[in-house]
Amino acid sequence: MDILDNIILRANNLRKNYGKFEALKGVSFEVKKGEIFALIGPNGAGKTTTLRIVATLLTPTDGSVEFMGFDLRKNPDKIRQGITYLPEEAGAYKNLTGLDYLKFMANFYAEKPQDVDMYIERAIKIVGFKDRLKDKVGTYSKGMTRKLLLARALMTKPKLAILDEPTSGLDVINSLEIREVIRGFVEEGVSVLLSSHNMLEIDFLSDRVAIIDKGHILEIGEPKALKEKYSADNLEEVFRRLVQ
Amino acid sequence: MRKFTNLLKKEVKELITFQLIVSLVFTIGMFYFIGNIVQSEVQKAEEKRDIHVFNLDNSQESKALLDGLSYAGFKVNLLEKKDKAEAIEYAKNSNISLLIVIPEGFSEAASKFQFKEIEAYSFIRSFSMTSSANAAIVDQVISEINKLLSNNFLKTNFPDFNPEDIKNPIKSRDFVVVKDIMAEGSAAEVSNIVYSQSIFIPVILMMIIVFSSQMVLSAMAMEKQDKTLETLLTVPISRNQIVIAKMAASALVGLISAGIYMLGFRYYMGGFMGNIQESGQLNELMQKLGLQFTSGDYVVLGISIFLAILCALGLTIILGVMVEDLKSAQTMILPLIFLVMIPYFISLFSDINSLSLPVKILIMLIPFSHPFIASQNILLGNYAVVFYGILYMLAVFIILIFICGRIFSTDRVLTMKLRFGKKGFAKNS
Repeated sequence: MDILDNIILRANNLRKNYGKFEALKGVSFEVKKGEIFALIGPNGAGKTTTLRIVATLLTPTDGSVEFMGFDLRKNPDKIRQGITYLPEEAGAYKNLTGLDYLKFMANFYAEKPQDVDMYIERAIKIVGFKDRLKDKVGTYSKGMTRKLLLARALMTKPKLAILDEPTSGLDVINSLEIREVIRGFVEEGVSVLLSSHNMLEIDFLSDRVAIIDKGHILEIGEPKALKEKYSADNLEEVFRRLVQ
Repeated sequence: MRKFTNLLKKEVKELITFQLIVSLVFTIGMFYFIGNIVQSEVQKAEEKRDIHVFNLDNSQESKALLDGLSYAGFKVNLLEKKDKAEAIEYAKNSNISLLIVIPEGFSEAASKFQFKEIEAYSFIRSFSMTSSANAAIVDQVISEINKLLSNNFLKTNFPDFNPEDIKNPIKSRDFVVVKDIMAEGSAAEVSNIVYSQSIFIPVILMMIIVFSSQMVLSAMAMEKQDKTLETLLTVPISRNQIVIAKMAASALVGLISAGIYMLGFRYYMGGFMGNIQESGQLNELMQKLGLQFTSGDYVVLGISIFLAILCALGLTIILGVMVEDLKSAQTMILPLIFLVMIPYFISLFSDINSLSLPVKILIMLIPFSHPFIASQNILLGNYAVVFYGILYMLAVFIILIFICGRIFSTDRVLTMKLRFGKKGFAKNS
């Protein structure tokens, strides 16, 4: 990690090709410690591809990612120790109970058995449905599953939580709860890299945003500064002006 | 190691579902049930040497003939009826399956060498195994009567000779030679024993391979279908450990499932094959010929089977990367099943060594062929073939694991798909 500027993640000139299709055309950004950095843009802009690269799932065609001093290509295992990833369409193992699922995931990050208990306790506070944790995940509603997965991503207090559309498909109440949970963990030192096509949500949640479209980052900055720069009431307007 | 155990436990938990347990219990129960029915039918067929006789001759000679049949192991029941029609009617209405009618004047005609026909009535009331056995009993009865009559005739006319010597003047002694060992005995009996002992090995192997592979494919398909694979691939555990945990869990559950299925299958086959037991003499012959497995032989056979399972699992992991859901997993298992079926059927119905060289090479290139032929080669002392097979399977397994590791360490694990009807592999964008 760059101590001087407090940068935890640095993505430099990322390119990703799927055959002849260029999903990313040179994406660069940085995430600082304890901030929520959001990638916003329409569907197919390259948000998920970027997050998947940072989460060590995809190898970039070109460019580099450095997380806490570790290079993505050389040390993916080291990077995985410091991150958690919540995919947009993630699911949990349906045959496991919610509690078993959390224990299963906690065991990958725990250094000692007591850590597992601590993680589970934290997760229970996030999900808010302790009484249903002994039921199989297959019986959960979409909102419950999403909360369980978010709890899984945050319970270990990772250095960087990568959240792809964290409130995707959730109702207003559940979305608000999840936003509050994310904000709470950031206050405790967790950095968050998230993506959303819901620009109003990002406006409320993030410290800095990168507006991405067709594999290019068009602008990076704090929501307030961007709105001022483009004389816009919200980020949607900023985006519209940028792509026009 | 703790992380690996954690993953392995999860994989096993995911595989041992309520549906799997119900299916196993149902299958073993069904095999047991069918096996018992078949066994009781076979026993009935074997025990059924019950014959009913309506003797119109009533001479001392014909009575002696019936005594001879009793002596030969038939249970003779004499019917006391007014005439043949009544006897047939009685047999029809009773549960009699075989009625022998000895005609009037039979003995007198026989003494003049003018034989009258014996009538045999078989009553078919079903087409079960027991029923078909009656046909064989008719032949046995007639053959026994012929034997008794011809022996009597020969004894009367050639009192100084043994009738058997006259009928079969040439005697033979059978010897079996296996490699450098020779022993007195019947080659047919030896072949039957070896066949009955080794018939289960290809069946067991086939079941284990198919089961374990199906488990791996299902596990991979479930990960993709339930969208859990992406999360799993970002947790701090090496990709190789993910591959090995999936293989180990599937092999474990596959072995248990196959073991349970085999138990049921044994009941089932036991019904057909009855109690194939070696007589003391035959056992001695097998020992003399060295046609018995030593503990070392079992270890070698076990290694061969185990490596075949590992090769199957390695191949399945690669196929599993290309599946998208459970439905596509069912299709994806087919190439593997064909690869197992080819040596399976060849080992059951043919001798791989007798095939032409190009076909033999092709068969030997399939790693699963080696354990199929291992048991017979071990018995015949052809250890070199078995060891080369083991080395070949080990090499194939190492290559497969290397390929799996490469696939899992790149994004191909998420992007590789096999699209039927299109050009080979396609990337998901």
